[in-house]
Amino acid sequence: MRPPSLVPWIGFAAAALAIAFAPTVADGGLLRLLSEVLITLAMAQMWNLLAGYTGLVSMGHQAFAGIGAYVLFVASDRLGISPYWMVPVAGLGGALLAALVAPLMFRLRDAYFSIGMWVLAEIVRLLVAKFPLFGGESGVPLQAVRLVEAESFQQNAFWISGAIGLAAVAGVYLLMRSPFGLGLMAVRDNELAATSIGVNVWRNRFIAFVLSGLGFGLAGGAHFMGTMFVSPDSAFDINWVVTAMFIVIIGGIGTIEGPLIGTVIYFGLRELFNTWFAMSGGWYLIAMGCIAIAVMLLAPRGLWGLARERWGWRGLSVQRHPPPRDEASLSAPLPPSTQGRTA
Amino acid sequence: MPLLEVRELCSHYGDLQALFDLSLDVAEGEATALIGANGAGKSTLIRAIAGLGSRSRGAIRFDGQAIEAEPAERIARRGIALVPEGRMLFPSLTVEENLRMGALCGRTGHWTLPTVYALFPILQEFRHRPATQLSGGQQQMVSIGRALMANPRLMLCDEISLGLAPVVIEQIYRAFGDIRAQGTALLVVEQDVTRACRIAQRVYCLLKGRVTLAGRASDFSAAQIANAYFGH
Amino acid sequence: MAWLETLINGVLLGGLYALFGLGLALVFGVMRMVNLAHGEFVVLAAYFAVFLATQFPGVSPLFFIAPVALAAFGMGYLLQRLLLNRAVATDDPLTPVLVTFGIAVVLRNLMVELFGADPRALDGGALATAGFEIGGLRIGWYPVLVLVLAVLAFGALQWLLQHSRFGLVVRATSDHREIVRTMGVRPRHVYAVVMGLSLAFASVAGLLLALRTSFTPFSGVERLLGAFEVVIIGGLGSFRWALVGGIALGVAQLVGQRLDSNAGALYAHLLFFAVLMVRPNGIAGART
Repeated sequence: MRPPSLVPWIGFAAAALAIAFAPTVADGGLLRLLSEVLITLAMAQMWNLLAGYTGLVSMGHQAFAGIGAYVLFVASDRLGISPYWMVPVAGLGGALLAALVAPLMFRLRDAYFSIGMWVLAEIVRLLVAKFPLFGGESGVPLQAVRLVEAESFQQNAFWISGAIGLAAVAGVYLLMRSPFGLGLMAVRDNELAATSIGVNVWRNRFIAFVLSGLGFGLAGGAHFMGTMFVSPDSAFDINWVVTAMFIVIIGGIGTIEGPLIGTVIYFGLRELFNTWFAMSGGWYLIAMGCIAIAVMLLAPRGLWGLARERWGWRGLSVQRHPPPRDEASLSAPLPPSTQGRTA
Repeated sequence: MPLLEVRELCSHYGDLQALFDLSLDVAEGEATALIGANGAGKSTLIRAIAGLGSRSRGAIRFDGQAIEAEPAERIARRGIALVPEGRMLFPSLTVEENLRMGALCGRTGHWTLPTVYALFPILQEFRHRPATQLSGGQQQMVSIGRALMANPRLMLCDEISLGLAPVVIEQIYRAFGDIRAQGTALLVVEQDVTRACRIAQRVYCLLKGRVTLAGRASDFSAAQIANAYFGH
Repeated sequence: MAWLETLINGVLLGGLYALFGLGLALVFGVMRMVNLAHGEFVVLAAYFAVFLATQFPGVSPLFFIAPVALAAFGMGYLLQRLLLNRAVATDDPLTPVLVTFGIAVVLRNLMVELFGADPRALDGGALATAGFEIGGLRIGWYPVLVLVLAVLAFGALQWLLQHSRFGLVVRATSDHREIVRTMGVRPRHVYAVVMGLSLAFASVAGLLLALRTSFTPFSGVERLLGAFEVVIIGGLGSFRWALVGGIALGVAQLVGQRLDSNAGALYAHLLFFAVLMVRPNGIAGART
């Protein structure tokens, strides 16, 4: 691989700085919006990790977001610990659920897998709504919010969202540049070939699946901590996945930059329709849907894929490159011991 | 005028060019063989004529009419039938249903279900079996029968002897006599050079997308054919 | 006694589920395409039926089945011809899923914007509540009608596919869509007709749904999952088992609801899961 350039790291550092200083310049409303953007970005990256890099399209990842949220609420309230510390636990909750269901879900292929995941999410939602432990159908407020300072809550919630967003992007980037990432993409492209070169297909998929569950759990936990209220319908809303899917499709599936671009477009469109055109909630979704359809039919690699093909842009590329060609070494004669061994 | 004239045909797979200015004739009622090593472009040529493959440049004329820009559906109705490589029978259909599919383009003539069954009697026995449950040789018969049901003037046969025992191949080739007797011309892709020269009046040898030898089979020595085949 | 009634009602509800799934199974079996917008078309048909009811008051909604189905057929044909054929041609199984997903979101929100989110219903008049007694059990006419229509629809489709020339063409195209072209068949047209049929069936289900219960633009996605479960339990291309699957799901839901009110759907989902784990390709299995 080419020696990693410094540009991505400068980008990450700049983003981290921006997140750190944002609360000083942004008001409450803007902070909430930015929190949402960062959490959505994290979910999009995680969904893309599974769909774009592993080849598993899940329509049930809202299960992990919801579980993360509920774990945070219940653990925080029952144990009397500040919800800030429960965010990682929310992630663990998502990861645990993913680890539990993976052996079942991996028996399914393609569309069966996608819909199976959706059914799984519905089962989890119905189960959660049944038990009074979780507050039932109408939901439960975050009582543990009493344990934290009211003034700094919004700021802290924002920083947590920012950390999750940044970690998601950086994490996926690092993961895909690692040998594990290479193995993952090999499995996605050709399972049989990957197996024949010794890649453990099941293990790779499992790890990616659990990581995506972790990511969604963290995101779900952080989001609902911010809203301070959770209910089964909102926690397990399919729109979590709808949003992630749109973002990834439009931005570019199987790339790091894709979800970034897609998130910008998503929120840009939403603000455009809600604020500038003053058209109510549904219209931006209609626009988003039409764009997604057009992109899928005309530019299946998404907008970033188009930019890469047309203008050769590179950003956070995880592509491998062969070592530079050395003409001298190619035409050198074979050492004597290998001659005569070619069958 | 030849029944089929191919002139300077070029065909591509994406950016890769597979046929280079290829020209070929098939005369009415005659059997013409296409020989050549794997990857020479024989199947590519067959598919291009049938309208399934790319025809990026050049002309194809059937009975004097230009067909290089026509879709496969239209070419089928003109009377060109394909016996595809790998047989490509419809697994969801029975033997008889496969045969009936061949007749869909609406051309009438000598070949109907009874006459096809007369040509390949074993098929009548299995007519209601799912087509892919038959042996390789029997499936090949179904595939040929399916093409015959279109009463074609030209039948394109792509590697029909692949994977079959010599005895079975002989059986199938014997049917070619009856097929030609009804006026159908044949363009046959055949790996076995000897057999190709035996059944065909004309032979074309392809190498890397170009014709390296063309003419009456009896005009060439084995050495000449080998040269054209391997390109020395 | 009450259990028997629950069982029978479950079977009858299953008929409705099976009808939802029929169009989906058809498209899934012929084109290997997952139509995530199927539910939205069901609801769209319901809105159309309601519109017709306001235009022609006093006419029994059952008379609307023909115009609604015809309109749906036309819509399906155009949709496939103009948009979805491109998606299927890419040979990537993901593309049609994502494209129909986009269509679903667009349609759903368009319906909200145009028709509002308030629940609507179709007045079935006497039919909706009429019933008959048999052996001490009370059974409604409407659910029986639905089951009968479902069985008829499945039977008609099965007959069409196995015994008609069009069915022959459809099955062959589903096997090898390129080779059929050398027999004069136009796959794009075949796919469009199949999609038209699929939406026609969906529209009948939509009209019947509107008679039974109130609906909103979101009723489609709520029902879609059940429809998929029907299809998947049946296995690729098997309508017989899809019908059985639908009935089983209906029974599971109502029995579950008796045991544990509020969570009826949970038991249907669990049954689906159990079947899928034992037979990951559905009961009939996948065709190679």
